[in-house]
Amino acid sequence: MRRSPVALRIAVLCYIGVLIGVPLIFVFQQAFIHGFGAFFRALRDQQMDHAILLTALVALVAVPLNVLFGVGASLWIVRHPSRFTRVLDTIIDVPLAISPIIVGLVLELVYAQGGWFGSLLAKLGWQIMFSFPGIVMASIFVSLPLVSRQVIPLLRELGDHQEQTASTLGASPLRIFFTITLRSITWATAYGVSLTLARVIGEYGAVLIVSGNIALVTQTLTLDIGANFENFNNYQGFVGAVLLAMASIVLLLILGVARHRERKRNEYLA
Amino acid sequence: MSISLNGVTKYFGRDLVLDDVTDEVPQGSLTALLGPSGSGKSTLLRIIAGLEPLNEGHIELNGRDVTNVPARDRHIGFCFQDYAPFRQLSVADNVAYGLKVQRMPKAQIRQEVDDLLHLVRLEAFADRYPRQLSGGQRQRMALARALAIKPDVLLLDEPFAALDAQVRGELRGWVRSLQRELGITTILVTHDQAEAMEIADRLVILNEGRIEQVGTPDTMYDKPANDFVQGFLGPITTLNGVAYRPHDIELCAPDEGVAATVTDVIRLGFEVRVVVSDCNGTSSWVQLTHDEAQRLNLIVGEHVSLRVRMGAKKNRGPEIPEVFRIDGDEFTSSSDQEERTPFAKGSQR
Repeated sequence: MRRSPVALRIAVLCYIGVLIGVPLIFVFQQAFIHGFGAFFRALRDQQMDHAILLTALVALVAVPLNVLFGVGASLWIVRHPSRFTRVLDTIIDVPLAISPIIVGLVLELVYAQGGWFGSLLAKLGWQIMFSFPGIVMASIFVSLPLVSRQVIPLLRELGDHQEQTASTLGASPLRIFFTITLRSITWATAYGVSLTLARVIGEYGAVLIVSGNIALVTQTLTLDIGANFENFNNYQGFVGAVLLAMASIVLLLILGVARHRERKRNEYLA
Repeated sequence: MSISLNGVTKYFGRDLVLDDVTDEVPQGSLTALLGPSGSGKSTLLRIIAGLEPLNEGHIELNGRDVTNVPARDRHIGFCFQDYAPFRQLSVADNVAYGLKVQRMPKAQIRQEVDDLLHLVRLEAFADRYPRQLSGGQRQRMALARALAIKPDVLLLDEPFAALDAQVRGELRGWVRSLQRELGITTILVTHDQAEAMEIADRLVILNEGRIEQVGTPDTMYDKPANDFVQGFLGPITTLNGVAYRPHDIELCAPDEGVAATVTDVIRLGFEVRVVVSDCNGTSSWVQLTHDEAQRLNLIVGEHVSLRVRMGAKKNRGPEIPEVFRIDGDEFTSSSDQEERTPFAKGSQR
């Protein structure tokens, strides 16, 4: 029995090594195979730079919207429970259960020209599919529950006694939200933001379909990487992959800090 | 400030949790809402605070109808059982919260907070966070925070339930003297009858959403309105099918009372409980002082006789015969001789 922890440790390390460690090392090795100079030259690839900019813009729009939605929906579900919010609570998880490809296809069927709303939107002069709004929609869809899944359990655990006490002290609902509720869920929200951001910049399938994958127009970083590999432009692909990997590592570090702070807060339960 | 409750009725879904509750809480009193869990006492407190809507009835504070006034405009201090400390704020900021809402000038807030922290003996903890405080300290912080807005009424939901026995005892006395000092009308909710009797000058006993009885602790202990109140306010035991307080039964000479056998002797410091069973096997118990028990030196299996102490209250309300007459070895009372008969029979053994 005393030996099992060692065996367990080896098993876990092998698992992680084979699945994450080796591929990650391979990607970095490939990206720097021609040295740092070549790597930095590759960063100045026009197509990739456009893709990075587009990905950043999509994240800049999609993440704040999902944070607003996530916090709002969480408050509604936890603080004003009803039959409707119980349904909402379940529906919010649907994006996690559906394959991103299906998400993309469904959005295209509904919003592309010839779709349900497509012709109406075309008459208004709005093109949603194969353009920026479509990419944002797909990104929002696939990362929809990531904030509320962090915030809902915390709100449940906190209860509403702090808010109710504040109201007996004369505070308005808005003041209670900013001074009590928001301060209590800051770190859980930050954790949700990191997850959302990671999902948005890393999304491939749904964005591939709704964007049309047009280089220099609707190609995000993940699509650009994919295109490079398809065109036997492997080196450029690995450079892009390293950028994505580094973004994820930075996010993971932020996540680690957020989780640590959150745990420190939770050591004391009212 | 006086509080009047007029026919307060509350449903949770289809469940009736408060049924036509009417009471008048006098200015400056300390009232305990006492009842078993599920009796609706906490709900009633939340309704008075405006934290819970009611279905029927009215609530007045000093004659002003506040039934539809939201909690934030009622000017009532409320403390939850878990004290609901604002976790992200320091002790001083917790206490200052209500004052900041009132837009009091900063210097004045600092002065008020200092005074309040002094009042609750937490001066040294102003910059700590609630997680760094003990349970008793958190409760005092919550009290200071509620008192900061100079409320007309103070409502405390099970204020001592989350504390260990020793701290609980200290805080009870402290809260009582603080309430006297400030003269603030206070209602506290508790399920602990000893706590209610110790701290309150008025008891309101709730059971299944209805008021069973209202009165001072003394009158309710001595003249309970019904079996529920009698059973809830203190231990009862039966002698020949009649309910008594265990300290109202005494051991006597063999031919003067009901014959019984000692089945257990439980020593609880000053109090000693002697569990006995009579010839029918019915179990009851007698409360003795430590000295009495030592003098009698009872052992399990010993045969004893039981009788009701002189002047003891047999039952509740006005039917209590004021004086029991001892007539030879027979107990008689003018009002319910028939009920006594089996007792007399037993005593002849």
